Amino acid sequence: MALASPIPTVISAPAGPSWNPLSFRGAELPTELLILVKVLALVVLLVNHVRILPDPWLPFVPGVDRIPPILFQRTLQTVFVTCALALVFNRRVKLASLILGATMLIGVVSSKAYYGNNKTLCALMFFLSGLYVPGRKPWMLQWQLGITYFGAGLNKLLDADWHSGIFFENWAVNRLHQPWYITLNSVLPPRVLARIMCWITIVTELAVVPAIFTQRLQYWAVCANILFQSGLLLFTGTTFTLFFYSMTAASLAFVAWPAAPVTVGYDLDSSFVNQVRRVLQFCDADRRFCWTPHSRDMGEWFHLPIGNRVYTNFRALRMIVLLNPITYLAIATLIAAVPDVPASAAYRRVVVAACLFLLMPPLASIADRILGHRQTVRITVTGGGNWVTQIQAASVRPSTAHPPDWPTGEP
Amino acid sequence: MLRTAIPVALFVFQLGAIVYARFVPTRYFCWAPYDTQTDYVATATVNGKMLTGAEFRQRYRRPQRGFDNRSPQHVFDMLEQVEQKRSRFGDAATIVVKYRVNGKELREWHWPPPFQP
Repeated sequence: MALASPIPTVISAPAGPSWNPLSFRGAELPTELLILVKVLALVVLLVNHVRILPDPWLPFVPGVDRIPPILFQRTLQTVFVTCALALVFNRRVKLASLILGATMLIGVVSSKAYYGNNKTLCALMFFLSGLYVPGRKPWMLQWQLGITYFGAGLNKLLDADWHSGIFFENWAVNRLHQPWYITLNSVLPPRVLARIMCWITIVTELAVVPAIFTQRLQYWAVCANILFQSGLLLFTGTTFTLFFYSMTAASLAFVAWPAAPVTVGYDLDSSFVNQVRRVLQFCDADRRFCWTPHSRDMGEWFHLPIGNRVYTNFRALRMIVLLNPITYLAIATLIAAVPDVPASAAYRRVVVAACLFLLMPPLASIADRILGHRQTVRITVTGGGNWVTQIQAASVRPSTAHPPDWPTGEP
Repeated sequence: MLRTAIPVALFVFQLGAIVYARFVPTRYFCWAPYDTQTDYVATATVNGKMLTGAEFRQRYRRPQRGFDNRSPQHVFDMLEQVEQKRSRFGDAATIVVKYRVNGKELREWHWPPPFQP
């Protein structure tokens, strides 16, 4: 959730796409969509999704079950793995994405045992990314997210068990055995908490829909999507197979990466900043950041101008992490590499909570506010009074169009 | 052209499925994940022999006792379609499913459906 621009841009690269799975340059998709499909491809490989691809059994499409089952299943599995690996290694990514999505969709319509919302959504994310038209917004992915929320919200809105909280009470108590829910529920009047949870869900899902389709509100739609899906994971401890990954990855359809490398100014005189810079530079496989030393006199240890905004210090650090595609691969790997079983639920909760804490806007702003004062004092002593004014002025310049951490993608 | 037509067709289908779901008990392709919790216990007798848990799972590809996080009709659909298909090969099966939706009162579903004059 870093950048917003009306039209996503493909970073130009001198050579063709790299075989390096950590590289996101030179492919046929813009960076944000490449992250989306590569993250999902990595996830389906890590969770070994190929093992549950079906043979034709009680298909939605009549006649599919006349195909020899072993031939059908092995073909799906072979194509699936080939395309997922092609995505990871940046080979013909649009075609691979299209075919991978089609493979999963064929699996969905060919077996009621395999059918599931999570698989359908993941398949559509791949398939629609494969249909991306260069130079245009990935509107179809945005529409897909909107329709998904609309269907989910409407079904709940028209379900009496969701109005009364009966669904949630049964789910949280009898199925999930959610300890904090049970504790809180025991001190509240019957089913009040369940009703609150149900209506929060209904309102969130339906409110996200118009926000998705309104350019000015898309930032909030993305925030709501990420927080809502993360909230579900924190509450249940599960990713709902591929649902969590697909829904959160869909947020990438609303952002655009800078078309050219961005310049990061860093405090040359600070050994700590230099160490951090070395780590960040090491993780920057595509050389998306052009590191330029500046004097401590600048008053900022990190300085990151993007488009018409300037990020400094912790906010700059946060943006550097968010702008590095490897961040998303790392998060997905951390979650998907551990089997989705109840025993590992605490681990997933910790990973997701830590990511939210570290990468959502408040922490960097608070850190800048608290630690910024210390820096002001230090520089005032060593550098003189002029720098105080500069440091105070060195903050993110807000735009009227977008919140402060939602810059445009222009270089 | 196709790059627009195909997504539009997919969205029209999904919106149609969302509307269609208002008139039927199933919830296929209409984005209703985890909207209903069904817990059930099923017993099946095929050609006079009661199926064990393993036999049940092999025949219907779902456990004899379990949960489903969608409409209960999805469970019945699978059982029903398997038996419709197998009846062509001479199998005569009776199935009883005792189930609860969202933890409410116990209900029963039967295959073949009870005779209604």
